[in-house]
Amino acid sequence: MPATDVVELEGHIVDSLTLAKVMDVILAAGADYRMVDFVIGKTNADVSRARIEITAADDEALEALLTELQIHGANRVDPGNAELTEVDRDGVLPPGFYSTTNLPTSIRIDGHWVDVENPEMDCAIVLRADGRARTYPMHRVRTGDRVVVGQDGVRVTPSERPRGASPFEFMTSEVSSEKPKSLIVWEVAGRIRRAKAAGGKVLAVCGPAVIHTGAGPPLAELVAGGWIDVLFAGNGFASHDIESNVMGTSLGVSLREGTAAEGGHANHLRVINEVRRYGSIEAAVEAGYVDGGVMYECVKRKVPFVLGGSVRDDGPLPDVYTNVVEAADAMRYLLPGVTVALMLASTLHAIATGNLLPAGVETYCVDINQAVVTKLADRGSHQALGIVTDVGLFVGDLAQQLSA
Amino acid sequence: MNWGRRYLMCPPEHFGVLYEINPWMHTEVRVDLDRAREQWDGLVTTLRDAGATVDVMEPHPELPDLVFTANAGIVNGMQFVPARFRHPQRRGESPYDREWFAARGYRIDELPEDVCHEGAGDALPYAGGLVSGYRFRSDAAAHADLSRLTGASVRSIELVDERLYHLDLTFCPLDGRRAIVAPLGWDAYGRRVMEAIVAEPLVLDDDETLAFVANSVVVDSRIVMPSCPPRVGRQLEAWGFDVAVAPVYEFLKAGGGCRCLTLALDVALQHQHE
Repeated sequence: MPATDVVELEGHIVDSLTLAKVMDVILAAGADYRMVDFVIGKTNADVSRARIEITAADDEALEALLTELQIHGANRVDPGNAELTEVDRDGVLPPGFYSTTNLPTSIRIDGHWVDVENPEMDCAIVLRADGRARTYPMHRVRTGDRVVVGQDGVRVTPSERPRGASPFEFMTSEVSSEKPKSLIVWEVAGRIRRAKAAGGKVLAVCGPAVIHTGAGPPLAELVAGGWIDVLFAGNGFASHDIESNVMGTSLGVSLREGTAAEGGHANHLRVINEVRRYGSIEAAVEAGYVDGGVMYECVKRKVPFVLGGSVRDDGPLPDVYTNVVEAADAMRYLLPGVTVALMLASTLHAIATGNLLPAGVETYCVDINQAVVTKLADRGSHQALGIVTDVGLFVGDLAQQLSA
Repeated sequence: MNWGRRYLMCPPEHFGVLYEINPWMHTEVRVDLDRAREQWDGLVTTLRDAGATVDVMEPHPELPDLVFTANAGIVNGMQFVPARFRHPQRRGESPYDREWFAARGYRIDELPEDVCHEGAGDALPYAGGLVSGYRFRSDAAAHADLSRLTGASVRSIELVDERLYHLDLTFCPLDGRRAIVAPLGWDAYGRRVMEAIVAEPLVLDDDETLAFVANSVVVDSRIVMPSCPPRVGRQLEAWGFDVAVAPVYEFLKAGGGCRCLTLALDVALQHQHE
């Protein structure tokens, strides 16, 4: 297990080549470093100061390296212990609480680093009675919970995007519509295969455009083929998926002919109404009312899904969470084990999911609108790779690649 | 050089090899005290002949190495930064050194207690600041403290040969461009640093280095050396220096030469513009 620590080096470390030497010593020991901070002295008499984070293969290698570096004047920086304050009101964090990132994080308790479970951005860190640390969203803290306040004793490990000679590497540069789509689909398919082979789960976050563009059947194929393990969507996606299977239209437009069906604007309402009569999507499937589509395959294959509601929903379907806090918690509950996330033509649910995902989850954001991809990254999900293309074509190609 | 005309020395009344803290010291080797005194007197005379002033401090019966005044600390104008000795055997010297300087009106500034630094033995003025050795007797971490206390830049040189445990066994500044250098004592980075700051080095070979040739005292154009191989003498003379040999064999038994027996008192670091 890799071990990390921060050392500080000061003096005329540039003129003396001490900094160069320290870096060389670190690399020669098979460890890696990251310059956390570097201040160059302005005048001849000013000392320069460098803070260097060192990561070695394990604790033992790190200790040996730190001892060697000490000779050159590089001393371990005392990171201090994390400061804990008890919550005095349910759902309210103490002032100055440490607000998390989605990156792997550890807190230092009595001189030992404790990894924080479930990295999630915009949360607090709670040290539980059993000594484990975990992210908690604000509303989940309870009176007496011990919450980390301030920055002391908190260590965040920045994630690195996959490096190497992967043909996918060029995609990490920026979002662009001017990239060869078939190559990208081929790469994503490969990533999904690898993730599944490694025991990871694949999450699909779907917007209604998936159904409108005709990607419903190939996505259903992916679910049926066992490629999707968790599905997040809203009322619209599920309604139109069922509408398209029961009535052959999506928002009243015939998926076969691309023309508006007569009275079609009410089709999804009628479908929602019938599912409400059955009591749940699962009941509607069991009764034979729904006999195909993405939701059908989810029920059949027992792929868990969360449908998060919104103010403008029609119906909604009985499975839709109308309490957004409960919806977010239900999504959190399904995230452990997810290593690949596909955001398919979804803006709001994609951002909501991005907020919950640890930075280590490979996230692919597919949308015809470049702004959606940018929006996701702007909200802190820097790991998201944007693929600007028509979701209908993308999912069709992906299903073909994975079933091949 | 704008320093090197005034020295502090301590007579060898109580000198001897009573412990072993460097590879040169062997307690079974007897020091001839009369000869030591003779050689020390000879060094004083040679320095005075060269035009230097020599201040003498009282020896102490329990501090045999007090003769090596170079290690007392760092002098910077009227500031004195006492050494923090690596070995407990020498730590007793510091109170006497402090007392001597305090009595003469020097401001005493202390290094932190958790670092070691053995004074001018490991730090010589050069290139607009100090060049300081580390590893055997001084800590690299002390260099930043030294810089803060004196206001001078401190370039760090790692010493890698135990026999050359102090910087002044490997480096002797001659003037703004020239110096006697002994790369045998330095690691690859230290060699590169020295190459960058010494425009015209007189590079000693290993035998010359181990004969303490670099442990010399420079008084203007006269270089007072424990010994001088002909090759080295010719080069120094070609540069316009003249050499005076002051044999100090008795002190080599403790691993110290001419420079180790002297502490320059006329160093003013802020004004080092050479």
